[in-house]
Amino acid sequence: MVERRKVVILGSNGTMGAGAAVVFAGAGFEVVMLAREPAKARAGIEAAKRVARSEAVAERIEYGSYREHLARAVAQADIVFEALAEELELKRAFFAEVDRWRKPEALVASNSSGLSMAEMAAGHSLSFRRCFLGIHLFNPPHLVVGAEVVPNPESDPEVVEQTAVLLARRLGRKVIVAGDQPGFVGNRVGLKVLNEVAQLAVEHGVALMDYLVGPHTGRSMPPLKTIDLIGWDVHKAIVANIYARCPEDPARDSFRLPQFIEHGVAAGRLGVKTPAGGGFYRQETNGTLTVLDPASAEYRPYRAPAPVGFVEAMRRLNRIGRYREAVAVMADAQGAEAELLRRLVLGYLSYGLGLCGGVARTAADVDTIMGYGFNWAPPGALVDLLGARRTVELLERHRLAVPAVVERAAANGERLCGGGPMEYGRTLVG
Amino acid sequence: MAKAPAVYILGGAQSDFARNWTKEGKHFVAIMREVVLAALETAKLEPHEVETAHVGNFAAELYAKQGHVGAFFVEIDPAFRGLPTARHEAACASGSIAALAASAEIEAGRYDLAAVVGVEQMKTVDSVTGGDFLGTAAWYERESKGIEFPFPKLFGRLGDEYDRRYGLKDEYLARISAINYANARRNPLAQTRNWFMSDSHALKSDKYNAVVAGRIKVSDCSQITDGAVALFLASERWAARYARRHGVALERIPRILGWGHHTAPLEFDTKVAESRESAYVLPHTRQAILDAFQRAGVASVEQISAIETHDCFTTSEYMAIDHFGITAPGQSWKAIEEGWIEPGGRIPINPSGGLIGAGHPVGATGVRQLLDAYRQVAGQAGDYQVEGAGRVATLNIGGSGTTSCAFVVGC
Repeated sequence: MVERRKVVILGSNGTMGAGAAVVFAGAGFEVVMLAREPAKARAGIEAAKRVARSEAVAERIEYGSYREHLARAVAQADIVFEALAEELELKRAFFAEVDRWRKPEALVASNSSGLSMAEMAAGHSLSFRRCFLGIHLFNPPHLVVGAEVVPNPESDPEVVEQTAVLLARRLGRKVIVAGDQPGFVGNRVGLKVLNEVAQLAVEHGVALMDYLVGPHTGRSMPPLKTIDLIGWDVHKAIVANIYARCPEDPARDSFRLPQFIEHGVAAGRLGVKTPAGGGFYRQETNGTLTVLDPASAEYRPYRAPAPVGFVEAMRRLNRIGRYREAVAVMADAQGAEAELLRRLVLGYLSYGLGLCGGVARTAADVDTIMGYGFNWAPPGALVDLLGARRTVELLERHRLAVPAVVERAAANGERLCGGGPMEYGRTLVG
Repeated sequence: MAKAPAVYILGGAQSDFARNWTKEGKHFVAIMREVVLAALETAKLEPHEVETAHVGNFAAELYAKQGHVGAFFVEIDPAFRGLPTARHEAACASGSIAALAASAEIEAGRYDLAAVVGVEQMKTVDSVTGGDFLGTAAWYERESKGIEFPFPKLFGRLGDEYDRRYGLKDEYLARISAINYANARRNPLAQTRNWFMSDSHALKSDKYNAVVAGRIKVSDCSQITDGAVALFLASERWAARYARRHGVALERIPRILGWGHHTAPLEFDTKVAESRESAYVLPHTRQAILDAFQRAGVASVEQISAIETHDCFTTSEYMAIDHFGITAPGQSWKAIEEGWIEPGGRIPINPSGGLIGAGHPVGATGVRQLLDAYRQVAGQAGDYQVEGAGRVATLNIGGSGTTSCAFVVGC
């Protein structure tokens, strides 16, 4: 196996560029951060210091500009990690340059979260195509450890395997190999749920949706707050891409972008990165928190929703580690709000586990990426907590597809999520 | 020393030390429950088989406004209702004291299967308040009251004492830190497994690696950690039955081969004054190690494969190196310089990452060390396995070298 020690990062001025630099430097790699202007790459190093909380991290990082340094840096690199803007032609132009200078065994990885690896690889040399794949890190990579390896059709299986091992053993990632489809596995499953919640916010309001589908349902952060953090523009790009390119998806309607997001992006409302424009939430200059009314596009003072009995009961049970009982409360609760939540959560596990055998290899892979890429309770964990038989019943009652793995688990009584509560307890918040 | 009945370790479980239970909205009983149920599963035991439970915890009263921590064990499973339980406190050595109490009950023949749990929730308060709580592990009104971060100061003075007696270069302390962080990267449950660290970071003081007290920088300190660990101890009679049940040879089940336990005066100045005539800065700590070796029938550290020691600060690991007898007194630097304490070295120290790398949930640390010793001997330490680990020693210290507990685990 090739010992990989040097990495070049293209697109070093973005947050992912700096985050990836820290992850590689932390594992002992020599890193070269490249950007259009040297000053931008140098700014990337400053960002890397802040992320690493270390001045010394800079000792392992050099910087430069594409024009002056790309050829030499790429010629010496064992890994070329591309984190450029999500534009196919831009990336392809860079890859043509990389193909010219790279060592024949150098790994070339794209951090794209939406573009097709096959389209990016096409037309470059055979050796490039064999060594090219996606490494989808989640943001911010120094905190979120999920990673998807996405082969292109011509990737050398050995390179794929070596990359997965390198990410797991040296970079501390929780790795899955995902199919080259829009959104791969994590974003396909995660943004389906997030977009559904955004759709429902038109009728039910932002604050209520974030409360109902909050951390007690197995996520570190409420869904609409999560979209604010991801950025409305990024959310839009991923969701629209899946909608356009997966016409056969049984949940296609879940990927229909709500109009208010479309309008918000056009108006410069991108979430956390546009504090003045806001997102679902906005911190006003007078210090108060306001919340978006999606129907009118106006911000109103935030008021916490009135406590709902079953939600509070779930939180109390999660707090003392009674996860099974908490999930049972969700399954049994009466009323429209409980029904709304159940439909979302059951839809999540039906859709997520339904992807295995396709874009995801196994149920365990879906669980890994939702657990460590999104910090959500893995769908398999929710099935285990509900009981596989009960899950089948509930899915049928909601006319949702019963994934084959859930049927098998119901038949043979096996657990889907191997690690048990030690693996997912952290995601069920009290 | 009379030969005591054997005490076997049947396995256990550790929580992910990177978790923040406050952010998760958790009471500590949630994670106690997770680790005890996971430990039962790993060790292939049924809840109703447990006969007694000992819980190590330092200061739940302060961090979580909750006493009576031992009783929380029976909240974990209905089968535990009615079990005898106790909570043990000896500052950072609380976990080892819980293990000692459990093993003493087994040696005395009172019970055959004991649960040992260590638990500490620390991320409930800001660092200054937490530092003040930790100050109660010293003689509070004499050494901690009104002092910000008393413990880094006390362990800084341990370094100063070495410096005075033998000379000490900070580069060796920095190397200790870097090794522990590097080891932690291979431990999937270590708190700092994804943190950035390098030798030069540990050596330099700057805005990201500020001086906390004297020669102690941030990188010299162990972590503020939420953590829980559980393991099971069994009598020979019980272990023999267990071995038959699972088709394993009794001789292959790791056991506590020896232990040592000594207490020095609380105040650091008194300790140092009293050890002036000794070659060892902390002679009672040295004695705890020697007792464990003697009870285990171990002539010297040469017969030990690896050590999990108490590196609450880099200076305490520096102290442990000569106190274990790896070098002559005052020459710990030699073991660092020669690479003896690194993975693959003559005597790897803290393959888990120790308190600096893996984390230091105070009352859980002793149990964590014992579990890691078990995992090494059982060949279950994964990426941080020390090849062919036959005997592994632990050293767990409460206060500024006040309570010292050592174990030797082997087959």
